[in-house]
Amino acid sequence: MKKIELKVNGKIHSIDIEEDMRLIDVLRDKLGLLGTKEGCGEGECGACTIIMDGETVASCLVMAFQAEGKEILTIEGLGDEENLDPIQQAFLDEGAVQCGFCIPGMVLSAKALLDKKESPNRDEIKEAISGNLCRCTGYHKIVNAVEKAANDLQGGK
Amino acid sequence: MTIKYAHKPNTVEDAIELLNQYKEKGKIIAGGTDLVIEIKNRKTDFEALIDVSSIEEMSFVTVEGDIVEIGAATTFTEIVESDLLGNRLAGLKEAAHSIGSPQIRNKGTIGGNICNGSPAADIVPPLLVLDAVAVIRSKTGEREVLVEKFFVDKGKVALKDDELLVSIKFKKPSPNQVLSFSKLGLRKALAISRICTSVFVEFDTNDSCKEIRIANGSLGRFGMREREVEEYFEGKQLTEEIIEDGLKLMQKKVAERLAGRSTVEFKSTAIKGVLRSALKNAFNQNV
Repeated sequence: MKKIELKVNGKIHSIDIEEDMRLIDVLRDKLGLLGTKEGCGEGECGACTIIMDGETVASCLVMAFQAEGKEILTIEGLGDEENLDPIQQAFLDEGAVQCGFCIPGMVLSAKALLDKKESPNRDEIKEAISGNLCRCTGYHKIVNAVEKAANDLQGGK
Repeated sequence: MTIKYAHKPNTVEDAIELLNQYKEKGKIIAGGTDLVIEIKNRKTDFEALIDVSSIEEMSFVTVEGDIVEIGAATTFTEIVESDLLGNRLAGLKEAAHSIGSPQIRNKGTIGGNICNGSPAADIVPPLLVLDAVAVIRSKTGEREVLVEKFFVDKGKVALKDDELLVSIKFKKPSPNQVLSFSKLGLRKALAISRICTSVFVEFDTNDSCKEIRIANGSLGRFGMREREVEEYFEGKQLTEEIIEDGLKLMQKKVAERLAGRSTVEFKSTAIKGVLRSALKNAFNQNV
């Protein structure tokens, strides 16, 4: 058992963890942040994607103790039902969500991209979400949504 | 063995101290993109994890004189984005970029890719053809070993329990030298290499190969140089006939090495295309 301080969605949590716990286990089981999904558990599917210090990472491949001192953003830190993030809104507008399991990770990969690059082209969007698998949509509507989000974030409609 | 201790040292010195304390029961973790899966599957034989991913002095790219040095905890994303690695090192950046996905490249490190000893490690063939050296530190001092000599067997590298790989060094290519890379994966992103190849060429004024070094990954127990094929190309111009004969020799070598394996037919044929594209990239990069 080890006590760590974890900064998640702007809030510092003091948490008791086991040394062999992964970050996803802490996010879901200790903090109840169930928006982060576990798909493959091997870093292949991207459902567990979170943003750590500005970069997307697979939270199933990070040990919890490694995340101490880092800024962590999960989907819960982005927006809620009353106050959606423009990226989330664009996903809804474009019909980019079907079963929804991949979407938290997909939205965070889009956010990490748009935080760095205001107007990415479609190839750059595809590259940014290349680590997020979606079995429903065929990706086109997701790419459309990220394009729309980029546009909306710059004030265009 | 269950994991009882987890440390996150801030300096190389502290990390080495911890390695010394735990010896064979200590395990270095960097990006964790392979190790965390083993931990999850309880395939571990250590009781202490020592995280080096936050050690700043292990995360850097520098060029001093004609020596390039990359810290072992430098991520693939940092390698891809480094301005210090110019066009002549495009092969190194391409290898780093071909790994996994953005999420994997943001965490995975050059040192981890080497120390894992995977035959499919993409960053290894470029380092082999660069004649790169691994800088290893322990309490008793520092030693350097050729990356080529670092691989002992599949999953096994020449690193003692109390030693830490701190950086990788190699000579910066001069204006007539180039490094190229080519990979065969089964899909665009997240592909483990079925074959990856890197070529280093020093071109003569008449475009012939004054010196050529070739290394392959996923075609043996670890990434390795292909010296007989190198010798064949040496001093020759890369004309279609020469390339075709060199590829046939490469095919023969791979067929011998993988004899008896189910992949032998596929890989000994496919290497021809992968090596051809690496040679072509090298030639095109030499402008």
